[in-house]
Amino acid sequence: MKYYAQTRGEIGDYSKLPFRQKYALQDLLYIAYGLLIVALVLVSYVLGMFDLLPHDPLQINMSMLMAPPVSGGYLLGTDFMGRDILTRLIMGIQAYFLPGLLAVFISLSGGVLLGVLCGYRCGRTETIITYFTNLVDSFPRLVLILLVIAAFKPDIYYIMAVMGITAIPAVATAIANKIRFLAQKNYIEAAIALGLKTHVIILKHILWYNCRALLIIQATLGMGEAILLETSLSYLGFGVQEPVPSWGNMVQSGANYFLQGNFWPSTAPALAILFTILGFNLLGDGLNNILEDGRGK
Amino acid sequence: MSETISHPVLNIQNLRTYFYAHSKQSFVRAVDGVSLQVGQRETVGVVGESGSGKSVAAMSVMGLVGAGPGVISGSIHFANASVHQNLLAGLENFVHVEEVNSRVMAVKKDEKGWQKANEKLMQNLRGKEIAMIFQNPQSSLNPFITIGVQITEAIRLHTTYKSLKEARERALHWLEQVKIDSPRLRFDSYPSAMSGGMCQRAMIAMALSSEPSLLIADEPTTGLDSTTQSKIVDLIEELKSETGISSLIISHDIHVISRLADKVAVMYGGAVVEYGSAAKVLDMATNVKHPYTAALLASVPSEQKIREKASMQIIEGDVLDTINVPAGCRFHERCNQMTTAIKQNCLTRHPDLYEVESGHQIRCWRFAS
Amino acid sequence: MLQSVAVTFQVYMTLQPLKAIGNTLLKELVLAVLLLLGVSMVVFAILYTAPGDQFNILLEGLQPSEEARARVRDALGVPQAWYGQYFSWLLNVLSGNFGTSVRSGLPVAGELLNVSLNTLYLTLGSMFVTLLIAIPIALHSSVRGYSVTINWPLTMFGYLISAIPVFWMGYIAIYISIHGFAFFPLASLSQTPGENSWIYTLVPVLVLGLGSGSISEVIRSLREEMSRVMAEDYIRTARAKGASVWRHAFKEGFLIPVTGIIASKIPFILGGAVIVEQVFNWPGMGRMAWQAAQDRDFPVIMGIALIAAAFVRMGSLLQRLVYVAVNPQHSRD
Repeated sequence: MKYYAQTRGEIGDYSKLPFRQKYALQDLLYIAYGLLIVALVLVSYVLGMFDLLPHDPLQINMSMLMAPPVSGGYLLGTDFMGRDILTRLIMGIQAYFLPGLLAVFISLSGGVLLGVLCGYRCGRTETIITYFTNLVDSFPRLVLILLVIAAFKPDIYYIMAVMGITAIPAVATAIANKIRFLAQKNYIEAAIALGLKTHVIILKHILWYNCRALLIIQATLGMGEAILLETSLSYLGFGVQEPVPSWGNMVQSGANYFLQGNFWPSTAPALAILFTILGFNLLGDGLNNILEDGRGK
Repeated sequence: MSETISHPVLNIQNLRTYFYAHSKQSFVRAVDGVSLQVGQRETVGVVGESGSGKSVAAMSVMGLVGAGPGVISGSIHFANASVHQNLLAGLENFVHVEEVNSRVMAVKKDEKGWQKANEKLMQNLRGKEIAMIFQNPQSSLNPFITIGVQITEAIRLHTTYKSLKEARERALHWLEQVKIDSPRLRFDSYPSAMSGGMCQRAMIAMALSSEPSLLIADEPTTGLDSTTQSKIVDLIEELKSETGISSLIISHDIHVISRLADKVAVMYGGAVVEYGSAAKVLDMATNVKHPYTAALLASVPSEQKIREKASMQIIEGDVLDTINVPAGCRFHERCNQMTTAIKQNCLTRHPDLYEVESGHQIRCWRFAS
Repeated sequence: MLQSVAVTFQVYMTLQPLKAIGNTLLKELVLAVLLLLGVSMVVFAILYTAPGDQFNILLEGLQPSEEARARVRDALGVPQAWYGQYFSWLLNVLSGNFGTSVRSGLPVAGELLNVSLNTLYLTLGSMFVTLLIAIPIALHSSVRGYSVTINWPLTMFGYLISAIPVFWMGYIAIYISIHGFAFFPLASLSQTPGENSWIYTLVPVLVLGLGSGSISEVIRSLREEMSRVMAEDYIRTARAKGASVWRHAFKEGFLIPVTGIIASKIPFILGGAVIVEQVFNWPGMGRMAWQAAQDRDFPVIMGIALIAAAFVRMGSLLQRLVYVAVNPQHSRD
């Protein structure tokens, strides 16, 4: 049943309508949640960096194995070796935070370079760029990384560099499309006609004014992917090694206990992964809907 | 003409189709109490500017209105040799309208329920007994399917020619009827390969091939260039006399209406403001007409006026805002024929349709008897 | 006379789309070959820059026997220039010789063949599962119109599912199978005799289908495209004609978007397969790749990289074929 009532536009009533919320509630919620997660990650990273932890992540407490959350001073319980889960979760962020930033940095800078090159000077560069995009897309990322691991050492920074490189085409295409869009609207022509210097046009007008939303969105989504990749790799045993905690290896070492019915040691890190990646993805999507798609009410 | 009205093919009574503007929290009164009849072998033309509600009225007949509350009241009786049906049967069960001072202020409608009920009803009529063609023929045909297949689809659905071979024969027959060049070639072409005029011919062929009793044409010539336009009008004229089909032609182009229609309804702001035979309504000489019709006719450049280099006649004012409908006559703000005698009425009350002569009605206080 | 002209023309017209498909097939094959060449170059480049005498290890593995290897080394010497090395490797690969596994000493090609079929099964099966879940959700909201009460939870469901780490999901599935249905989906394929052992193989397929992260993408893409098509004029005409709307919306609103999304998601599904195979001990390419990475077994990992890329390109090729077969405008290219 739908109900429609006319409450305005009465005969002769030409009063201005009050300001209605511009943005869809859903997108704002997404962004709020995402920002919350980002804040938590940042805070945890700092805490981990300065060792401001509730317990020692490596300290074994044989008297309290697999304690449930909120018992004996362990806020999230302990794992199968009596180590505090909360501390280990916080420390786990160290494993992906900087590498993830590296990946994002590489993908954005490479993407911007390539995208501006392609967008600004189209033509033949375009076929080459498309070829490279398709080339990079032909590899399942994990397989490529395993290849790199086989060739070099399983250093997370190498790996994140590779991830950053594989993400370049996506960023580049997005930027190139944006530039093409602007060119279509004669934005660039106008800037040139005004006598602006090329580097000013590119840096200030194109990138800063028009692409910054795009870049922020790519950064958040890229960070989400980096986290997924790092946790998958450390699950497979290629990241930080036990006993140093990483969310992936925490799930892996708790696996056997999981199958025996002790869910928590594996589930806690898995939930951390879930909510964190969800946060980054929702942040990216929410920002995208509001800033790029113009979907607001 | 009057002897055909005993059982009109289409009898629209008091149709009201409203939409709702959420941002403005008010109704868009697209069709606000329209009554029309199309008799057997008759062609009724509906003319008006954009926003007058003529397309929405046609869509309401076909049950293709998707948005807002949609159709909220009225009846549409369709009658031909085999079918007698109110196309809005059962509407009252799904809609509850609240009026204040005979002005609709709130509507409660079970849209899903109405859609289901109406679909069941319209399923057997759409395409088969009532066919509709649209403007922009190229985008109105499926670009991924050849027009031959689109036409045979209609034939196999609605006629007794069910086999592919028979349907193909019939489709080719109809393609010849609409005077499309090289019908066999066009049968296997895609709409993107054909010009606007040819696409429209194909659409007409598709519509008529299922042998309906009523054809609704929503701006059939809009979007085509002028030479093609007149050719399509010729075609429709010919097909009308050949098949004896009744039709409802909607257009903002007076020329088209004058050539095709037996009776004309002039719509403005969601209501019919003048209704009568084509000869009477489109007669420029008399001044027994609605001010809007008069202005409309005057604004159409004619040969004589062009020769005289007369200045363009425009109708002052803007199209009616169907959200903020002013009190009184819909047209009063743009009307140049208000006299002091009727001014009070014009400003405050909606006029009804008054019969000025047999078969000719005008919605204007000047003719209130 | 006229009849035969008409008939010839008929035949010509029906063959037109086939000609277009043929053209595209050729073009796409050439493209795929070029890309795979590029892939092989990248793979080789990684090998080449790796520390250690990798190429020699690889080369030794390429020769069938010890004496042959010694002979080659003496006679030809190892080609020093990188392009020489690349081409000799490439030629071997093209003739089916992927080298010998450093770990097992067995020829890689043979092992890869068995293993890739298992992964293919996993990949296709999980794609099917993903589509099975995502398509009804996407179609429901686009065809029936957006109703917030139903759609928001479903969209959130899609997001959540895509964020769940697939390895954890795997353990949950295993737990449920063990305790809920009393079977162990962990055992390798060869070790589970008896009837209904094929059921065990469904669990990893299900897990990968749910967890590969493609569900929310498919839902979003499909829903957008279908909604756009539903608003097109020609759908309105179909309704007015009393024709089946689905039949008309199918090509542009369903077939093309779905094939597009699937082709683009193959790399992700393969990546997910690596993890799922690990969880379930599934004897597929992914697990083999993991093993190879641990052992630094180049021939194996290089072969896997090539095969995986080949899968991806094939998927892309098929998608392009479907696109051209369905789309009459492009047949004019």
